[in-house]
Amino acid sequence: MINFLIVIFGISMLYMATSSRIAAQTNMLRLQGIVLCIITIFAHINELDTTSIWSALTSLFTHVDALVGAAFLIVETFVVKALIIPNVLDKVAEKNNIKRDNNPQFPNFYTLVISTIILFAGFMIASSQVDILQNISSLYFGVSVSTIITAFVFIAIKKKLLTHVIGFAMLENGIFLLSLSVAKEMPLIVNLGVLLDVFVAVFILGLLIGEIGSIYGNPDVTQLCNLKDSEMAKDE
Amino acid sequence: MNNYFVLDSLNLLFLIALVVVTVCVMFYQGFNYCKNAKENLKYYSIFFLFFLSMVGAILCNHLGLTWVFIEATTLTSAYLIMLHKSKNSLEATWKYVFLCSIGISLAFVGIILLLIGSGSVNSLFYDDLYAHASAINPFWLKLSFIFILIGFGTKAGFAPVHSWLPDAHAEAPSPVSAMLSATLLNSAVLVILRLVKLMSLAGLGHTVQVLMLAMGLLSIFITAVYVYRIKNYKRMLAYSSVENMGIISVGIALGSLGTIGALIHVLCHSLIKSSLFLTSGNILHLYNTKEVEEVKDIVSKNKCTSWLWLLGAMLILAIPPSPLFLSEFLIIKQFLLNGQIVLCMIMLLLLTFIIYGIMNTVLKMNYSTHNNNGTEPVKLPIRNYIPQIFLIVTAIVLGIYMPNGLFELIKNAGEMIW
Repeated sequence: MINFLIVIFGISMLYMATSSRIAAQTNMLRLQGIVLCIITIFAHINELDTTSIWSALTSLFTHVDALVGAAFLIVETFVVKALIIPNVLDKVAEKNNIKRDNNPQFPNFYTLVISTIILFAGFMIASSQVDILQNISSLYFGVSVSTIITAFVFIAIKKKLLTHVIGFAMLENGIFLLSLSVAKEMPLIVNLGVLLDVFVAVFILGLLIGEIGSIYGNPDVTQLCNLKDSEMAKDE
Repeated sequence: MNNYFVLDSLNLLFLIALVVVTVCVMFYQGFNYCKNAKENLKYYSIFFLFFLSMVGAILCNHLGLTWVFIEATTLTSAYLIMLHKSKNSLEATWKYVFLCSIGISLAFVGIILLLIGSGSVNSLFYDDLYAHASAINPFWLKLSFIFILIGFGTKAGFAPVHSWLPDAHAEAPSPVSAMLSATLLNSAVLVILRLVKLMSLAGLGHTVQVLMLAMGLLSIFITAVYVYRIKNYKRMLAYSSVENMGIISVGIALGSLGTIGALIHVLCHSLIKSSLFLTSGNILHLYNTKEVEEVKDIVSKNKCTSWLWLLGAMLILAIPPSPLFLSEFLIIKQFLLNGQIVLCMIMLLLLTFIIYGIMNTVLKMNYSTHNNNGTEPVKLPIRNYIPQIFLIVTAIVLGIYMPNGLFELIKNAGEMIW
């Protein structure tokens, strides 16, 4: 079941990389958030003793502390990754009237090819280094590493500020998947802090897009080149 | 059960620098920095959140939680940098938040890789990691150190990942620039130092030395190249921060005496650089421009500011009696002891370029005169001088006479690194 979810995650990554519609990209972020949330649930169920229903129930009660923490984490993953971040991005897109990010020099087909190669390379590396990877499933490792790299490619070829933030959210999803692949866990407080930080970062970047848009009209990275060393830009 | 926060010699040193600089910056800006009460409330609450997140990052004993605090420093300082909401400050803030967030994400990848490699250790407390350093798989440890060095190095302003630094430092209000340069960079350096200890315990000290020496020398090189083309004096100070972070990195890489030099450098760079940024705030107030060309004859416009500007520049360039002279002397001595004479010569040559570039600009700003004769002297409130005078006097005293207690502290801290 988890493997199936990870495959869905990988496909959503490919779709994001090739699509130029903002709405499609935020929807894929939503899908990734839900997938990550379900994987988190499964990861925690595995910790329980599931030989029989009765032993599962008793282990539920003996681990109340851990369970409350896990429940908190699952809810926060869902709320932050699947609800808040895509919605914030949608709002920003709507407010600044951004629908698409087309880069005529770089057709979507190329992006598809590049991200497929990255995905393939991720699998190759993960499956060829099984002994170093120790107890980590190579599917997990391959998909998460290739998502991280694809997110960088995504950021590099897109031009709108908003798509950069979407790329950042995608990068964070990849990292979250990688952290889930480690069988041992971060302490709860660290996970919560990370989620909070990511949420605030996306929120602040969203606000900045609004501010920059109100000055430049159409927020685009090519316009952000005032600050250089060679010629001093005049402050307005 | 480990404590999430501890105080030891190493982070005590960083904490001292942070608190002294923050008190001075607060004295400089007073409690009425913005125009109205509402903005003041927002500015000061975010300023203190920024301060608290740095305290958290410095005192934290857990790698994962430190990451959370370091990312929090990025997010809280974002508002402070874009305070004026001009075109340039928005651009600088965007680059700052975006680049630092991406960089810090890479550091988190490094932390996860460390968890993968640490096998049965299953903890990110520094104590546990140190105790089981030899049990960590060296392949994963090396890989994770590279990620963490790049990630936290982005925050610390090491070249080649320093590109946000000049923009953010130049566009932020001067007290905020002082905080960024003197305290924010340090807190990221501290995390790298903790990891250096782990690497040296695991017997991978050589990797650390190569990487940090390369990054440090590259930082100094970048500054030496750019310092001639600079037309904005706050950018000049920002590049000087890149240079000093480079020197610290080189010192750490060299070990023993170099480490002690690097730690003295951390403390004294904070004192001097914050004083310089505060003085640059005075100049900005007097001339209302950040361009070097338009600032002339500070000495007849405001004598005290011109003296502070000149003295600060002399101290930051390690001209005696600067404490940075002491630290750079120790680092160079260790360089020669290690027998890396060619690298040492290159570094000294680059530092000479930087001295010429910065001193040239500073002297021009101070003493070149306008064509039309006579500049009206302008007075500034006295709290715009006192913090800088205090910081500069402290630095000079440390350069001439280092108290025994402080030196013991630095020595103990040095032993915590290698």
